[in-house]
Amino acid sequence: MMSYGDLEQRPAKKRRFFVEDSPEKDNTLSAEASLPDEINALDQSAGNTASGFVREGEFDVSLLESFVGEPLSLETIEKLKDLSGNNVERAINLYLDGSWRTQDQTTAPTASDEQSSIDVTPVQTKDDISEEPGVSTPTPAPVPTRTIEPWIAMPNKRYIGAFGVTAWATRSGSGLISYGDEVKIERTKPQGPGGSRKTGKLARSAQKDVVVRFTNSRGEEIGRLENDYAAWISTLIDQKVCIFQGNCVYAPERLRTSDNIYLQLRCFLLKTGFESGNITKPVENNRKMNLFEAKESVDERNLRLRQVALIKMFDEIKLHPLQSNDKNDKHKREKLLKAAEAAEQNEKDKANQTVKPSADGTSSPPSEENEEGEELEQDQLDTLYKKAQSFDFDTPTAEPANSFVMELRKYQKQALYWMMSKEKDEKSDHKERVMHPLWEEYAWPTKDVDDKELAEVVDQVNFYVNPYSGEMSLDFPLQEQNCLGGILADEMGLGKTIEMLSLIHSHKSDLVISAASAGLSVNNLPRLSKDSKAVEHAPATTLVIAPMSLLAQWQSEAEKASSPGTLNVMVYYGSEKSANLQKLCCEANAATAPNVIITSYGVVLSEFNQVAAQGGNRGSHGGLFSLEYFRIILDEGHFIKNRQSKTAKACYELKAIHRWVLTGTPIVNRLEDLFSLVHFLRVEPWSNFSFWKTFITVPFESKDFIRALDVVQTVLEPLVLRRTKDMKTPDGKALVPLPPRTIEIDHIELSKPERDVYDWIFWRAKRSFAENVEKGTVLKSYTTIFAQILRLRQSCCHPSLIRNKAIAAEEEDAIAAADLVNGFADDMDLQSLIARFEADTDEQDANKFGAHVLKQIQDEADSECPICSEEPMMEQAVTGCWHSACKKCLLDYIEHQKEKGESPRCFNCREPINSRDIFQVVRHHGYNDVEGEEEEEEEVALYDAPKPSSSTSRISLRRIGSDPSAKIAALTTYLKTLRSTNPHAKSVVFSQFTSFLELITPALSRESIPTLRFDGSMSQKARAAVLEEFQSTTNKKNKGCVLLLSLRAGGVGLNLTSAERVFMMDPWWSFAVEAQAIDRVHRMGQEREVRVVRFIAKGSIEEKMLRIQERKKFIASSLGMMSDEEKKMQRIEDIKELLS
Amino acid sequence: MALPKRIIKETERLMAEPVPGISAVPHEDNLRYFDVTIDGPSQSPYEQGTFKLELFLPDDYPMTPPKVRFLTKIYHPNIDKLGRICLDVLKSNWSPALQIRTILLSIQALLGAPNPDDPLANDVAKRWKEDQNAAIQTARDWTTQYAKK
Repeated sequence: MMSYGDLEQRPAKKRRFFVEDSPEKDNTLSAEASLPDEINALDQSAGNTASGFVREGEFDVSLLESFVGEPLSLETIEKLKDLSGNNVERAINLYLDGSWRTQDQTTAPTASDEQSSIDVTPVQTKDDISEEPGVSTPTPAPVPTRTIEPWIAMPNKRYIGAFGVTAWATRSGSGLISYGDEVKIERTKPQGPGGSRKTGKLARSAQKDVVVRFTNSRGEEIGRLENDYAAWISTLIDQKVCIFQGNCVYAPERLRTSDNIYLQLRCFLLKTGFESGNITKPVENNRKMNLFEAKESVDERNLRLRQVALIKMFDEIKLHPLQSNDKNDKHKREKLLKAAEAAEQNEKDKANQTVKPSADGTSSPPSEENEEGEELEQDQLDTLYKKAQSFDFDTPTAEPANSFVMELRKYQKQALYWMMSKEKDEKSDHKERVMHPLWEEYAWPTKDVDDKELAEVVDQVNFYVNPYSGEMSLDFPLQEQNCLGGILADEMGLGKTIEMLSLIHSHKSDLVISAASAGLSVNNLPRLSKDSKAVEHAPATTLVIAPMSLLAQWQSEAEKASSPGTLNVMVYYGSEKSANLQKLCCEANAATAPNVIITSYGVVLSEFNQVAAQGGNRGSHGGLFSLEYFRIILDEGHFIKNRQSKTAKACYELKAIHRWVLTGTPIVNRLEDLFSLVHFLRVEPWSNFSFWKTFITVPFESKDFIRALDVVQTVLEPLVLRRTKDMKTPDGKALVPLPPRTIEIDHIELSKPERDVYDWIFWRAKRSFAENVEKGTVLKSYTTIFAQILRLRQSCCHPSLIRNKAIAAEEEDAIAAADLVNGFADDMDLQSLIARFEADTDEQDANKFGAHVLKQIQDEADSECPICSEEPMMEQAVTGCWHSACKKCLLDYIEHQKEKGESPRCFNCREPINSRDIFQVVRHHGYNDVEGEEEEEEEVALYDAPKPSSSTSRISLRRIGSDPSAKIAALTTYLKTLRSTNPHAKSVVFSQFTSFLELITPALSRESIPTLRFDGSMSQKARAAVLEEFQSTTNKKNKGCVLLLSLRAGGVGLNLTSAERVFMMDPWWSFAVEAQAIDRVHRMGQEREVRVVRFIAKGSIEEKMLRIQERKKFIASSLGMMSDEEKKMQRIEDIKELLS
Repeated sequence: MALPKRIIKETERLMAEPVPGISAVPHEDNLRYFDVTIDGPSQSPYEQGTFKLELFLPDDYPMTPPKVRFLTKIYHPNIDKLGRICLDVLKSNWSPALQIRTILLSIQALLGAPNPDDPLANDVAKRWKEDQNAAIQTARDWTTQYAKK
């Protein structure tokens, strides 16, 4: 039977995070007991503490020893006897859970009768742990190396500081108290030790009683402390954290009730305050917390009261932690108090709700069903990652074992070193001892308030306080990392899988190694009794859990990375599941066991359900859960980011010595995502959800981001290895070399109408510049000139651009506007020039020319071009007499004839032709319409060798004279060529003019080239959606997609590696800006050669810009040292060249 | 400069499906330069003769016609003593749709049908007009003398 009292006491062993739990072994015991120091100290402490609970009676040592299973030293028995109040059963429990070492007599409950019903034997304890799902196996605590507990060396009380306090008299009279008199500070109704903890109700009612009174040397009550002080002083007294000694500073000669009295209180921290056995910490198991929520709240409450009281006292006595400035400290304390108040309020609210423990105790608390925690903002996430990414390039490297045949890059060898040291738990010597992030270090004062020297205690200069929990310690609270694994969070593409495989080869279980070196035959190893019910060790096996789609990849990578016969890989999925893993992998079969078992999250979940259905009998299931692996690897670990998901829970239950999580995104969008990983890894104390919640979730939700994120970072730092593709080695090299990149410049011939527009603007700009030079007003009209140059550049792209209002708005200068007005007549000319350019763009359906024409065009579509012999023709075009050739050939020929002064004639029939009567054949097959299902079947055929299915493909003719612009035409040609040679290749098009992109989109969609837009006007969400769509490889509509980006939009971080072609529609003043844009495609993760085409209008200002780019880094970048005026002068020099 | 696809294709086809009586072989060191032979058409004064020509494809071929010249001495009103040929498709009537093959066929046809009204070698044309038989005989003699197989 488990009584309530039992439950209240027992979890205590798991609640201690910073005290070294005594393991169930005894090797520490003898070491301790043999030290005479300690024996003395023990005696002393026993003598000093009120030992009113020791009762005479039978204490059966032999029973104790037989339960414990080993002989005990006399000292141990004595201590156990004391602690247990002579109760053997209690003593057994104290011994087994290790709490006896730190527990003081005062905590021994008086109500020993409650305990008498405990019926716990060591064997049963083990069973509890191994069979009950949800109870994690305690990680073996490191063997304590310290032989003297500092708290033993500590005197019973130590002076910490003094402060003034107001009190009021409760009686009248004279001569009761005067200046300098000592007063005794005590609680009105001293509670029996442990009394307040007996039940929740009692504790609650006790809460209101905070009265602290004081008496004079004769023991007469004089008065009470003001409530503000009494509230927390009472807590410190009750919880045996402090005692206070008072002196009267001022009291009226003749005292009347409710007169003010001023006291100075000297505070002494009690030894008992440092004994963590007194403090209830959150229990380890989340599920249990639900069952015992009521009790939990009482303990938590005490904790909180103590926390608040300590903070207030430290504030009063002006004690500040070392390594922190006063201001921060003050700030922090205020926040802590605030958080505590909030919690208080919460508690009150909760008290009104009745909490029903769920029937089976396994289902989740309803309030935690959903994913909890607020989402992180992107910038918070970035900061966090940035901090976690400070990778030390001097990290030593490790060479993989010989059986690993792949070449590792340097950073991968560093990962191997790191992982091996994590698994072997080798603390690197050069690393400093890191204090636990939640603790603060304080120095004991060396002088008291009257400047008198205080007695020093050897080796005890400092003490430590956790202001978040109210705990105090004399030990240095080391940030411990007892998890033998970690999170490998290298960015995608850096080779996490390979790094992991190198670890599998290079670090094997000692058992396997010794078996191999000793040459033991399989027969010498103990045989596994058939169908063991227990969980068996699988010392040679690493379990890899990955999403289903990655199983095959893991298998092939594992085989590729291993020299033949060195790695036995098994995919545990589908039919393979019939195997009995336990038999395969157990210790006895280590020589033949699979070294790597690869399975999916789905399999883990379904076996978890099966085992659960069989009442949690892991062993006889024979599946994944019947083994304790040497190592578990969770690939794409964010699969378990929701700790409430069944998959996550299933993964928690898998047993292994080493646990690893691979993920590119340890935190997807909530801090709780990380918790789940940490819980899986069993990183103490963070794997405890209440702990996590208290120190991370709650501060974060109460907007104390910095603190929460700081804590998260300290959690992450030792646990995570993360490198990103952008990282450069100290000598500036990329972690992974990139595929080649070629940049070519395509000099585009402007069409005649475009040229006319350009020339007109050029002439006007040149004239006005010359005028300004003459008048000496260049600097004044600087903006106007610049605006005109802007127009020139635009007209190189598309003449319509310069009519665009948005662009006109960029010309901020008023002079420019005036200039526009003055030049209105001229503009009319310009308008007509542009109008001519924008001749009708009507498309005509070829059908209206009759079936004959249609047939002829289609017949000729696949034949070779009569001019260039390209087969099929590139962009079939037809003459007015319906003869087909490539568009370019046809136009070239017409141009050629014109140059020779001949009137153009058809290349075929020599009919005279008009260059306006050339039509481009537009075929409406493709991505978005008509064919539907048929398209799916013929997909490959259709794109590899476009074959019009005569009945379905619609043809229309478009007058070539109405080409949008020379640059757009060139771009279209490139993209169409690309589509015919590599239909899946994606391209990125950059222009600095958003309005130009707006013109490109329809031109491309006319050719059935799918486009996506990304520019500064879009919301963050829309941008993300566009990028996701563009990067996606599964989306069918996405094939050969073109992303149109404005040069200025999109952060540096933009990753466009799914593209392999880049088109720069127009040059920028500095090539660096263009290069940065190109680098969005040509960056880590890019696996193909990147080809870049820069379009430059022939014989235009753009060519001159290139020259300027080459001659120097134009404008700002290199002119940082110049004044604005100098810069302008410099630019005018450039403008002179531009307009030459 | 890389050889355009068109020239490669034409060359391949000339090798694969040669025209009877005509051969054109590119120089190994210059694929735009061809050694050409044309057999004199039957029932013409050039019968029994094999005429050597050179053919060069200029850079802007097929925008401009190939340059063709007889290397073998020939007595023909439309071919001068330097071997230059007067043929419309090699000049104003050139079209990029024409090819080496069609041009050589045209030249062969020209041998079968001299056109003294549009002469290049004026003396030959004059004689052709005045005394056709004598002219044809001279052409035969020249063929025997210079173009004997």
